[in-house]
Amino acid sequence: MSITREPTAPGDYRRIGRRDLLRLWGPAVLAGAAIAGGGATLHGRPGRHQQPAESTTPLPPDWRVAAEGPAKLAVAGGSGPVENLRRALAAVGGIERFVGRGHRVAIKPNCAWDRTPEQAANTNPEVVAELARLCLAAGAASVTVVDNTCHDPVRTFARSGIAAAARAAGAAVAHQGNTATERRDLGGLTLGTWEVLRPIVEADRLINVPIVKHHSLPGATLGMKNWFGAVVGSRPSLHQQIARVSAELGAAFNPTLTVMDATRVLAGGGPTGGSLSLVKPMDLVGVATDPVAAEAWGASLLELSPDRLSHIAIAEQLGLGSADWRSLVEEV
Amino acid sequence: MRIRARHLRLAVQTIFLIGFVALFWGLAWPQVPGRVASSLLALDPLTSVGSALADWTVPGWVWLGVAVLAGTAVLGRFFCGWMCPLGTLQQLVSWIAGPNRRARAKLNRYRPWFAVKYVVLTVLLVWAAFGTSHVGWLAPLSLLHRAVASGLQPLWKGWASPGGWFAFGLLAAILLLSTWMPRLYCRALCPTGALLGVVARVAPLRIRRGAGDCTGCTLCAVPCQGADEPLGDHRVSECHVCLNCLDACKESGLRYGLPAEGSALSTPALDVGRRRFLITVAGSVVVAPVLHAAGGGMASRAHDAIRPPGSLHEAAFLSRCITCGACAASCPTGVIISDLGRSGVDGLFTPVLAMRRGWCEPSCIRCGEVCPTGAIVTLEPAAKQAIGGPAEVTIGTAFVDQGRCLPWSMETPCIVCEEMCPTSPKAVWLETIQTTRRDGTPVVLQQPHVAPELCTGCGLCENRCPVGEQAAIRVSSVGETRDPANRMLQQRST
Repeated sequence: MSITREPTAPGDYRRIGRRDLLRLWGPAVLAGAAIAGGGATLHGRPGRHQQPAESTTPLPPDWRVAAEGPAKLAVAGGSGPVENLRRALAAVGGIERFVGRGHRVAIKPNCAWDRTPEQAANTNPEVVAELARLCLAAGAASVTVVDNTCHDPVRTFARSGIAAAARAAGAAVAHQGNTATERRDLGGLTLGTWEVLRPIVEADRLINVPIVKHHSLPGATLGMKNWFGAVVGSRPSLHQQIARVSAELGAAFNPTLTVMDATRVLAGGGPTGGSLSLVKPMDLVGVATDPVAAEAWGASLLELSPDRLSHIAIAEQLGLGSADWRSLVEEV
Repeated sequence: MRIRARHLRLAVQTIFLIGFVALFWGLAWPQVPGRVASSLLALDPLTSVGSALADWTVPGWVWLGVAVLAGTAVLGRFFCGWMCPLGTLQQLVSWIAGPNRRARAKLNRYRPWFAVKYVVLTVLLVWAAFGTSHVGWLAPLSLLHRAVASGLQPLWKGWASPGGWFAFGLLAAILLLSTWMPRLYCRALCPTGALLGVVARVAPLRIRRGAGDCTGCTLCAVPCQGADEPLGDHRVSECHVCLNCLDACKESGLRYGLPAEGSALSTPALDVGRRRFLITVAGSVVVAPVLHAAGGGMASRAHDAIRPPGSLHEAAFLSRCITCGACAASCPTGVIISDLGRSGVDGLFTPVLAMRRGWCEPSCIRCGEVCPTGAIVTLEPAAKQAIGGPAEVTIGTAFVDQGRCLPWSMETPCIVCEEMCPTSPKAVWLETIQTTRRDGTPVVLQQPHVAPELCTGCGLCENRCPVGEQAAIRVSSVGETRDPANRMLQQRST
């Protein structure tokens, strides 16, 4: 190794000129200034990991249709799910009254569990499919059947028969596994902000299609508890004040229509059921523009008085409708 | 004896070493402002760059490191030779127990494996860019501080800290290695040294050769700290600016300064090829998400990963924490330990609370005051006290283990957890029951319950529980206010 330095370039051994001074100091000044400037720019900033402020974007106020119809609650029975739905729907004014050309329709069934239609833990797939078909026939631009399932979403939508029936009817299937969410302020006293499945946020018309079911905590799972499936997040904590939460969800997601499926009613062991001995065939479908009336009617099928289901009274206080279903109902 | 530049350097080194020790004690001394007590930790430029990359901010006094880095562009690695206490300690050890002069002439020559530190630096900076800063694992001030705070301090304070022992072992290894080769850690591994080395390449002030002829006597290598070969192509990126060579050289007149007329302006290339650099970057990019997967994320909700009060939420916390252990050293009860496994790989050596060792004193906010990077923010003393209602800041929730609890399972009276509970109203409350012992004698017992909305997670109940090695009431992280997702209670409608 050479330890006496030889000139490595022609310019190395010479007077230090202006160019050499630039070469000597330029990089140092540039580097020093870049470091100091970068540090000054970043100094005291809150940092990129600051938690985003809570969303204050509200949901659409509701999805109701203003005009008065012939009935607020119609119940049809005895003719199978498809025909029951058609007849009850006709009695509240027909689908054309609610869904028009170009509307994006979201249908929210109760599709929570990996159970067959016979086990009556999920909404009857024929009701869901026929409703989708009718919406599309009325001119809807799209129909999306959407739920946040409790069991694995792919299995649940498959076993319930809802995925196949909805797709055959021309509807899309959306769940927490294949769909984005949007953070929205649900506006309730207890709810705060939640991630909401996007097809619901974007819907022009929202149709709630619950099944009438027994539930261990509130006594029944009906329409308002069904909105647990619209949100994504730590839903288990919502059970601590389930009556108030259900009513507030009912206010946040005030739908165009409530289609209450009582084709088969799960009378015990809810909300999951399983054993066929728990299932009571009733062959009924209720259609309501008044979600509270639908709720009270559903409760009556389980022989529960509205007092037993305190969320119905809260929903009434919130102005969502009337629990006096008997004076509203039209049986067809 | 003439006063020479290296005497000045020794004086500065001594001041910084004493300052480091003094401020370490100052951490636990509330009269010393917290930011001052941890100011030396904020001097490490790698801390600043790590924070800038991981969290896009240079918080608080961390700008000190930026100033050091900018100064390096002019002066070279003066931080390594003059300020860094880990460097000074190694220098001291190798002075006392290191190789003799003959061996030093050989050992203090540059070796290609010294470039490992540039690999270490690249890995740490790429990981930091992914949002979780691990620079503190190997940054010298953090490492030394953690070793003392969580490894050494327990020797006289009487509690063990698993991550601290790891750091202490690393420190011992570094000092031991310096008995073989002076400043081996600085030369071959230190990522801060590597960062400064990269910047020092543009420094106009450096060791320069005078007019005389170099005879190759290698005397300058004997006291050389950086192994930067002033006798050959001086490697300015390795030079610690210790200035020992100036006095050692008898022939060519080495000096520190601007180039004289007629000298070369070239700078030797870094010993890191493009190929090695790109492979390192690619490898780090692949590993970064694996670190997250092995920790972070859901592990932020590990029941026993209880963070100090005022800690940022986990992602921000991990992007800021340099695992220096200042919080642990400042804690009056010693509840903060250096983590080894509770919060995953991403959380290695970060502070967690071990309630059997201490508790979170209700009115104390010292850990937030001393945190040099703002990973723990300074709270108002009232924020975590829960006097007259729920606290603004909580770190967890206490749970009664009924199977171990004396009044719940052993028909033995005890109320210690309720007695100790510092919130008002008390989060731990007692239910009086009448029952019988095994022999049929009646006994009145008071069984503890926890009101979760009042509990701050301070851990005094767990700390004082008489049930031996594992308390019958224990704090877990659920309910900590820093993470809205880690909670069990729904917001109340009141």
